[in-house]
Amino acid sequence: MSTTAFFVPRTVEQAIDLKREHGKNLVVLGGGTIVMGLVHDGLLFPKLAMSLARAGMSDVRRRDGWLEIGAATPIARLAALKGATTLERAAGMLGGPALRTLATAGGNLFAKAPYGDMCVPLLAMDAELEIAGAGRRYTVPLEQFLSRRSLKNDELVVSIHVPKAQGRGAYLKLGRRQANTPSVVAVAVQAVLDTNGKCTDVRIALGAAAPQAVRAKKAEAVLIGRRLEDATIKAAAESAQAECNPATDSLASAWYRREMVGVFVHRALDELGRST
Amino acid sequence: MATQLATHIVTFQLNGRPHAVTVAPLTTLRTALREDLHLHATKAGCGQGGCGSCTVLLDNELVLSCLVPVTLVDGRSVTTLEGIGGPGRLHPLQEAFHDHFAAQCGYCTAGMIMAAKWLLDRNPNPTRAEIQMALAGNLCRCTGYVPIIEAIEDAARRMSKGVKR
Ligand SMILES: Cc1cc2nc3c(=O)[nH]c(=O)nc-3n(C[C@H](O)[C@H](O)[C@H](O)COP(=O)(O)OP(=O)(O)OC[C@H]3O[C@@H](n4cnc5c(N)ncnc54)[C@H](O)[C@@H]3O)c2cc1C
Ligand code: FES
Ligand code: FES
Repeated sequence: MSTTAFFVPRTVEQAIDLKREHGKNLVVLGGGTIVMGLVHDGLLFPKLAMSLARAGMSDVRRRDGWLEIGAATPIARLAALKGATTLERAAGMLGGPALRTLATAGGNLFAKAPYGDMCVPLLAMDAELEIAGAGRRYTVPLEQFLSRRSLKNDELVVSIHVPKAQGRGAYLKLGRRQANTPSVVAVAVQAVLDTNGKCTDVRIALGAAAPQAVRAKKAEAVLIGRRLEDATIKAAAESAQAECNPATDSLASAWYRREMVGVFVHRALDELGRST
Repeated sequence: MATQLATHIVTFQLNGRPHAVTVAPLTTLRTALREDLHLHATKAGCGQGGCGSCTVLLDNELVLSCLVPVTLVDGRSVTTLEGIGGPGRLHPLQEAFHDHFAAQCGYCTAGMIMAAKWLLDRNPNPTRAEIQMALAGNLCRCTGYVPIIEAIEDAARRMSKGVKR
């Protein structure tokens, strides 16, 4: 079976109209780095396909302190941002340079573990998604979206809204080699420390530690009101290790991933404690 | 909106000259280059984005041509290995790859050289680590990478001398 039409809409509205008209028969390509591989493997036979590359969804804007990332923004654009946040670090460590030119932020929201690296810092920064369908637009917290990752037939993710980073951030990724590798685990932490060094607000996000990126909320609770001292960090790392739900695949066993969640949460918190 | 039904024509600059191909929807740039335009330097490896043997430049950015529907290349500019040099007019990267035995079976070579060109265009004097990072998406099953990295270091030196002269 071959693809009978490939649509390249020029606006978000055109893209939504096509989604409304064709629903599930229309395969959406952000950068296509996942979709095209499935097509070549004979695992996906799109009757109709649509690329978001020209739909005016590839801009990064700053508004009222928020960063608004168009869903079709290439990862390479995010890696080149000059905000010194964990987002840039995660983007710069995703795939290789040619992949980063193509892969999009929006597509990453749908990537199955161990992929989905961008969701990790985005969760730690408490990002929201703007979703548009026929005649409606709304935002949902990323965490809520990731728990189901389903959209209605006429819906697309239009942009990712990231609040101004509060406090300090850390992002660490462990792979089987130093670059262009899926995550064994990825960890992002965003924390606010008061003048006494006590943690007043913290979010810890884990990648490749569950079917989708998740928060380690019990570990966060361990840290609130405490200084980032060795015993506290150790307790938080152990908690993250206990509450995650990693899978075994060709890269790593679930057991090893769980061990590494502990090690990398520990390292990320150490790094935050040392940074000023 | 560009709605591309059944077969359609795509026009783009290829190695500095206008070209047109008539393709079916979702035909990749790699297939158009190899099977329609008969430029075979760009290799067909995995078709998954995993090996880098299909790497080319699109508007001077590095892309994996197996993942790019050629329809999206309409009106844009593509550079393949054939576009940077050939017999009798080798690019310094091609010369250096030859001199350093940086190609064995040669399957990865076109992709390696395109990734190296992309790097040297932005960073004429890269460190070894920067070269390794630029090649992160390109696999070589023969050379062990060291001759490739040395060839790129040498090409960078040759090119910087060329500029001074
Ligand atoms: C060699 C290689 C290395 C990789 N390395 C990494 C890595 O290190 N880390 C990592 O996280 N991933 C990695 N990936 C996976 C993938 O490239 C990325 O996750 C990428 O961000 C996916 O984005 P895309 O736009 O290419 O997805 P696409 O293939 O375009 O889309 C993926 C899915 O999302 C849907 N979709 C896309 N955009 C939207 C939207 N705006 N609204 C609704 N649905 C949408 C599509 O319909 C599809 O189902 C790698 C892939 C390859 C081939
Ligand atoms: S053939 Fe394109 S990356 Fe392998
Ligand atoms: S020379 Fe054979 S794959 Fe690199």
